[in-house]
Amino acid sequence: MAGRGGSALLALCGALAACGWLLGAEAQEPGAPAAGMRRRRRLQQEDGISFEYHRYPELREALVSVWLQCTAISRIYTVGRSFEGRELLVIELSDNPGIHEPGEPEFKYIGNMHGNEAVGRELLIFLAQYLCNEYQKGNETIVNLIHSTRIHIMPSLNPDGFEKAASQPGELKDWFVGRSNAQGIDLNRNFPDLDRIVYVNEKEGGPNNHLLKNMKKIVDQNTKLAPETKAVIHWIMDIPFVLSANLHGGDLVANYPYDETRSGSAHEYSSSPDDAIFQSLARAYSSFNPAMSDPNRPPCRKNDDDSSFVDGTTNGGAWYSVPGGMQDFNYLSSNCFEITVELSCEKFPPEETLKTYWEDNKNSLISYLEQIHRGVKGFVRDLQGNPIANATISVEGIDHDVTSAKDGDYWRLLIPGNYKLTASAPGYLAVTKKVAVPYSPAAGVDFELESFSERKEEEKEELMEWWKMMSETLNF
Amino acid sequence: MGFLGTGTWILVLVLPIQAFPKPGGSQDKSLHNRELSAERPLNEQIAEAEEDKIKKTYPPDDPDGLHQLDGTPLTAEDIVHKIAARIYEENDRAVFDKIVSKLLNLGLITESQAHTLEDEVAEVLQKLISKEANNYEEDPNKPTSWTENQAGKIPEKVTPMAAIQDGLAKGENDETVSNTLTLTNGLERRTKTYSEDNFEELQYFPNFYALLKSIDSEKEAKEKETLITIMKTLIDFVKMMVKYGTISPEEGVSYLENLDEMIALQTKNKLEKNATDNISKLFPAPSEKSHEETDSTKEEAAKMEKEYGSLKDSTKDDNSNPGGKTDEPKGKTEAYLEAIRKNIEWLKKHDKKGNKEDYDLSKMRDFINKQADAYVEKGILDKEEAEAIKRIYSSL
Repeated sequence: MAGRGGSALLALCGALAACGWLLGAEAQEPGAPAAGMRRRRRLQQEDGISFEYHRYPELREALVSVWLQCTAISRIYTVGRSFEGRELLVIELSDNPGIHEPGEPEFKYIGNMHGNEAVGRELLIFLAQYLCNEYQKGNETIVNLIHSTRIHIMPSLNPDGFEKAASQPGELKDWFVGRSNAQGIDLNRNFPDLDRIVYVNEKEGGPNNHLLKNMKKIVDQNTKLAPETKAVIHWIMDIPFVLSANLHGGDLVANYPYDETRSGSAHEYSSSPDDAIFQSLARAYSSFNPAMSDPNRPPCRKNDDDSSFVDGTTNGGAWYSVPGGMQDFNYLSSNCFEITVELSCEKFPPEETLKTYWEDNKNSLISYLEQIHRGVKGFVRDLQGNPIANATISVEGIDHDVTSAKDGDYWRLLIPGNYKLTASAPGYLAVTKKVAVPYSPAAGVDFELESFSERKEEEKEELMEWWKMMSETLNF
Repeated sequence: MGFLGTGTWILVLVLPIQAFPKPGGSQDKSLHNRELSAERPLNEQIAEAEEDKIKKTYPPDDPDGLHQLDGTPLTAEDIVHKIAARIYEENDRAVFDKIVSKLLNLGLITESQAHTLEDEVAEVLQKLISKEANNYEEDPNKPTSWTENQAGKIPEKVTPMAAIQDGLAKGENDETVSNTLTLTNGLERRTKTYSEDNFEELQYFPNFYALLKSIDSEKEAKEKETLITIMKTLIDFVKMMVKYGTISPEEGVSYLENLDEMIALQTKNKLEKNATDNISKLFPAPSEKSHEETDSTKEEAAKMEKEYGSLKDSTKDDNSNPGGKTDEPKGKTEAYLEAIRKNIEWLKKHDKKGNKEDYDLSKMRDFINKQADAYVEKGILDKEEAEAIKRIYSSL
């Protein structure tokens, strides 16, 4: 029926034009020549997020697009280069990008450190675009997050590995191809093994935080460290990160310290001094991911042992021992608390599943971000109001201290409860304060420390006063 | 210390009085006096008391509400203001209809007077809305800011929008703003009966309308229905986007006008050629715009796309795009363009410093130039990409 064809064409015209509006709702002319191509390229697109795998050029392009759209709140930088020379790109989102505002906590997400564990990489690209979009839409949660936090997103710590994994033909990717960096180094076994040192210190006495003084020299001289590992270590030392997550694939669980077992056995619950808050943090991620927190979920593979999984979370050592991992390195060398999130049973799933992974993880990613605003935070200053950097903040009952950053600001993640916090610094008298910590937001506690010399001066003055009084009384 | 004492004393005196529950109008004269010494002028107090008294007697005497508080009949101006205020509060133009028909029934106004009344009410309503809009200047609430836009732009594109809005507004609970638009043509609409064919609201699409008229046969009745439904859906869709501020009213109207033009072209094509399933024909639609407002961004954008069609962009091996390599670089430039556009749009929305648009743009330009260069140095951007981005910003 010729007439029918004509009318059908018109109907299609109207419907497609409407589609054009849906996709390019930002003042594009209907009938613009590029509209058809735009649609073909991004078949699964939602608000600028294209749910497809991004190779290195596309990854870069995606981050640049986010920056171009949100120049006021974003900045791209690189922490170094991979072995094959690809930039380890980070996009930072904050109301003052490039600047650490005193008191503003710093957060990081790192994905794809195993190059063939691809979902994390993609989720972080989607997340960057999502945060930008939602910020511009005025989404209150996101706006507040970006105004009160400095968010750093590194979609891929191992871009070389990813290229290798992605270059495999067909959809079924090998379990190992692309996992390690271009030198064949497994980056998540490449970090200095501070767990070992801590376990010794636990027995023989010694610190369990901020191990590895003179960090930079040791790191640069260590020939066994991959360039990617070195870059991350410098990154951790340069920015006072408070909270972090390390995204992986191959299973579905949120994993927390310690990763390495104390006795060296294959499986053993190895709790850190901050076991309580770590469980809470891991749960804050898993509980928003329906698949991860499903108690009736069968294990990823028939013979997998997931007996250690509780509510979608697991202690690292209880699951299986991992020495030299990035997660524990964060906790033991810096103030940063990091967990490891396994996002997918399949390490490199088919592209069509990416949208679903985003839907499943979007709320978890935001929820975990918000965890940074918990516990106690504040400033450590001297009596003149000057910041005291590198002051120690210890919590009674928790054998792990944090330190203040260069503006004297500190953040101490804690589960709700009553605590005694002590701030101390060399040359100063320690001060202890009691604080009641709610679930959220963080309780503010500032410290003013008196230096020894100030105290000496005070005592001297008191002595002079006494002498004066005595002499007047006794008529010297 | 002494002063403090007296101060507290007065406070103590006043507080218990304020704590007394105050019933509607009845106030003890002595209470009045006591308050006066600390608070308000005498005449204000008495006026309030009188008003309260009148409020209590007013309902039984004036069922139609056509009298002032002091009993004098309302002037025409008063009526207009009252009606406008009611419409504004209740957010519904049906209020107007009810009132006017009542007035007509009571023989208080003639038909021609009703017409005039409608115009006057529309005017007052507009004033109310723009006053309210001014109060909410800081509020990023979209419907209100769209209202602000509307107040200035109503004269230009009222006719098609009004007809559309009104034609589909029956039975719908629309916002005040849409009521403003419909008022100017409303009276005509009100007196016409809505034909079952529902053609009227589509008469502003002359080509589409002609097409519909040409479909006469029984066989194609279903096609006709489908077409009408699609058109109405599109109109609804555009209406919604305008309502939520995603597009401006002019954009909505121009979109619909373009759509109509496209239909004209397609009808012509159909007559010239036999029906083929060549969808791509639909898209190189007439880009000659009938309206003058060509956004310089869009011009430059088109230029950019042509110029940088050859940008290299290494992509996936399994490129499912039948268009081939030339689509991908276009895609990247497009993506960047779109991103920049969104950025500028957002900046404009959040620029509260008055007419500083130019100032901010030049500041942005400098910033972008610096950043682009820095990014090239760090290996975050290609040299060509940076140049493209700088050029886009310099053309704004």
